[in-house]
Amino acid sequence: MKNKPYDICIVGSGAGASPVAYTLANAGANVIVLEKGPWLTEKDFFKDELTISIHDAYNPKLSDEQHVIEEEYQNEQGERFWQGEATSDSGWSWWNGSVVGGSSNFMSGYFHRLKPVDFRLKSEFGAIDGANIADWPISYDELEPYYAQVEREVGVSGRVVEHPHQEPRSSDFPYPPIAEVPISSWIDQAGKNIGYHPMPVPRAVLSQPAMGRSSCEYSGYCSSYGCSSGAKGSGRAALLNHAVKTGNCTIKPNAKVYKIATDQQGEITGVHYYDAVGRKQTVNAKLYVIACQAVETSRLLLASTGDKFPQGLANNSGQVGKNLVFSGGGTGRGDFIFDDLSEQQVSELKHVGPFVNRALQDWYKIDDEKFTGANKAGKAKGGTIDFLFHQNPISRARGTQWGVDEQGNDKLLWGEGLKQSIKQEFTSYKTLRFEVFNDWLPTDDCFVSLDDTVTDKWGDPVAKVRIGYHDHDLTVGAYLAEKAEKLLVELGAKNISSAVSGYPATNLMAGGCRFGDDPKTSVLNKNCQAHEVNNLYVTDGSFMPTGGSVPYTFTIYANAFRVADHIKTRWQASLVS
Amino acid sequence: MKFISSFFDSRYQTPAWFQEKQSRKQQLSRRGFLKSAAGAGAVAALPAITFSAQAIEQLAELRKTDPWLTLDATLAHLLPSSKTGPSASDIKALEYLYQVMTVQPTAQAEKDFIVKGVGWLNGFANSEKGQGFVALSTEDKEIILTKISQSRAGENWLSTLLSYIFEAMLAPPAYGGNPDGIGWQWLEHQAGFPLPKAGQRYFELPPRARTRNEIAIHTVAVTAPMQVNQAKNVVKKSIKRVHKA
Repeated sequence: MKNKPYDICIVGSGAGASPVAYTLANAGANVIVLEKGPWLTEKDFFKDELTISIHDAYNPKLSDEQHVIEEEYQNEQGERFWQGEATSDSGWSWWNGSVVGGSSNFMSGYFHRLKPVDFRLKSEFGAIDGANIADWPISYDELEPYYAQVEREVGVSGRVVEHPHQEPRSSDFPYPPIAEVPISSWIDQAGKNIGYHPMPVPRAVLSQPAMGRSSCEYSGYCSSYGCSSGAKGSGRAALLNHAVKTGNCTIKPNAKVYKIATDQQGEITGVHYYDAVGRKQTVNAKLYVIACQAVETSRLLLASTGDKFPQGLANNSGQVGKNLVFSGGGTGRGDFIFDDLSEQQVSELKHVGPFVNRALQDWYKIDDEKFTGANKAGKAKGGTIDFLFHQNPISRARGTQWGVDEQGNDKLLWGEGLKQSIKQEFTSYKTLRFEVFNDWLPTDDCFVSLDDTVTDKWGDPVAKVRIGYHDHDLTVGAYLAEKAEKLLVELGAKNISSAVSGYPATNLMAGGCRFGDDPKTSVLNKNCQAHEVNNLYVTDGSFMPTGGSVPYTFTIYANAFRVADHIKTRWQASLVS
Repeated sequence: MKFISSFFDSRYQTPAWFQEKQSRKQQLSRRGFLKSAAGAGAVAALPAITFSAQAIEQLAELRKTDPWLTLDATLAHLLPSSKTGPSASDIKALEYLYQVMTVQPTAQAEKDFIVKGVGWLNGFANSEKGQGFVALSTEDKEIILTKISQSRAGENWLSTLLSYIFEAMLAPPAYGGNPDGIGWQWLEHQAGFPLPKAGQRYFELPPRARTRNEIAIHTVAVTAPMQVNQAKNVVKKSIKRVHKA
């Protein structure tokens, strides 16, 4: 096996990697996939809160592998400075699922497409001071067929509705919407009352058995949990399993790539990795595809120096790691107090299993004189609001041990007081939550570099991530959160609140190797091939110059299918020549 | 920590593992992350307390002696038997805690803290009431726990036990608590499926890649020099994150 030449070597196995493995293996190319984590299957996924959230067991221990996060501080003299903190000190994990299939195993699967405006943010709304906004080198029309392909082959369940911001579609959803809880129709009615257009969330969860996978079993635990039925469209369940069946795709789990080697001409000659027991190994191929999720992709390129690339692979422009983006926005909530409601309403609220599955995109483009963003006419790119319930009971119980003493200070509860507190927490109300997704503008203060001192368990430098944000993101997020709160008011919820912040959601990352036509300001060309390296492609979310205002996974899949077609054409041409 | 002999020792500082658990809890909301100052209480690795060889059936014998005897009594006081809902005994809180201490890969520093707390509790009960905690009346137990809860160490210790009571009540039964889903039923919570069985729990997943010599995996520097950590805390206090707008 060692040194066997492959046609395509793919580093990573998630939403950016799996479409390439699937497309090329089906075309007959000899493909190898190197994945850092273990290869788990449906049989290894359980609805176990201890595994998923309390112990984060599908990710590396932070003492083994971590990040350094740089935040901006101000001292007593008012001077600002950036200071890094290792995540093994803070406990803030930046891993999103280090297993075969990557974070797509644990996604919620909100599969909203980008809209045409997302491809030309700068032309549409103009530049914003302090932000590095750039139009994409491709249009929505070029990506549309691949969104349709993902809907068919990864499997997206949904229903097209009349909507002010409905994007053009070449086909209807291939699968009907997944089942919904009664509150979904409450949201529809409340939205109608106040002139909103709630829409069913397109979801990467099969509502019917298809493609050798089962349909959703409605266990009530989906977001952040691995899927034990195969209904969730992870890269593993939906694509890699089929790629392996062709006989042309080898998946090597527990293989941690640490360096990409290049020759004097600047072409990649091989990929070096540590195997399951820490031995150094090498894989050679004709073409190389990197898709380790944005931060780790930039880290690997930066670590892969060579004669032609003293600052890291494909980084003679100094662009690798730059213009990292997350998702702007925040969260909000409102409580339904059972005592205020009829027995029928309470019973509807307690329904568990199906999905809330409602979103608002009425303000995907903001056009409101009262909006005080960068554009003086009140026009701006807005975003998406999704509604959901949380399930995890241990998390919910935590906090019930705190009461208040006679002086108003916090005090620990136990005995009857604790029992009442827990019982009341679980049985007197239910919280409906929302999440706001809006653009995280690319800036000079948000990027990946290599840390000078902290290393992983193999001794290699870890990624350092500076997480500065642009104020405009907060303005847009707050505007959207206020709209969402109005819907909660109309629904009759109490204790309504929301929080918009500049802290990134670490499961929503993109950029770092943005694509563009100018090699001076971008790392990749429009086909996601490195400007500087002929046999290198990057197919995870790293390519995105701006992120849009929806979760990333759908667009990463669609773009990876688009690039896979290009790689397939190139590989087939190489057979002829 | 190794010099500390009571909940009320002013040298006690909240250990890092405790603070990390608190900050992890905050992260459960998508944006709720709060920074936690790195704890200054550098915990020297104490000799391992060896429960690991004991099979779960032996708990019946073990609970007659400390630390299990006192832990059992403390859990029973924290979640008493009453008509209002299941007790510590009903949810098998001690059995769950025994698994935390012997089967789950719990940090040694945390296990040491739980056991040390038993000694501190009995020391305090003896000095206040002239007998160990287990022998006290319900009223005296309440007085003792209330007093220790007013110290930082006591609050941390009780919080740790309470958080394991929640896990015993609401985790899948394969972990040793929550028999037949008694906690879920009480709280009208519908569990998901499939649930893990023994052999499928979080610490029994397929292993991750190792380093060649297995050097650094579990030997993180918990014994970092005190001065460094204290200096870091001082730095943290004098700065605050910039909140623009």
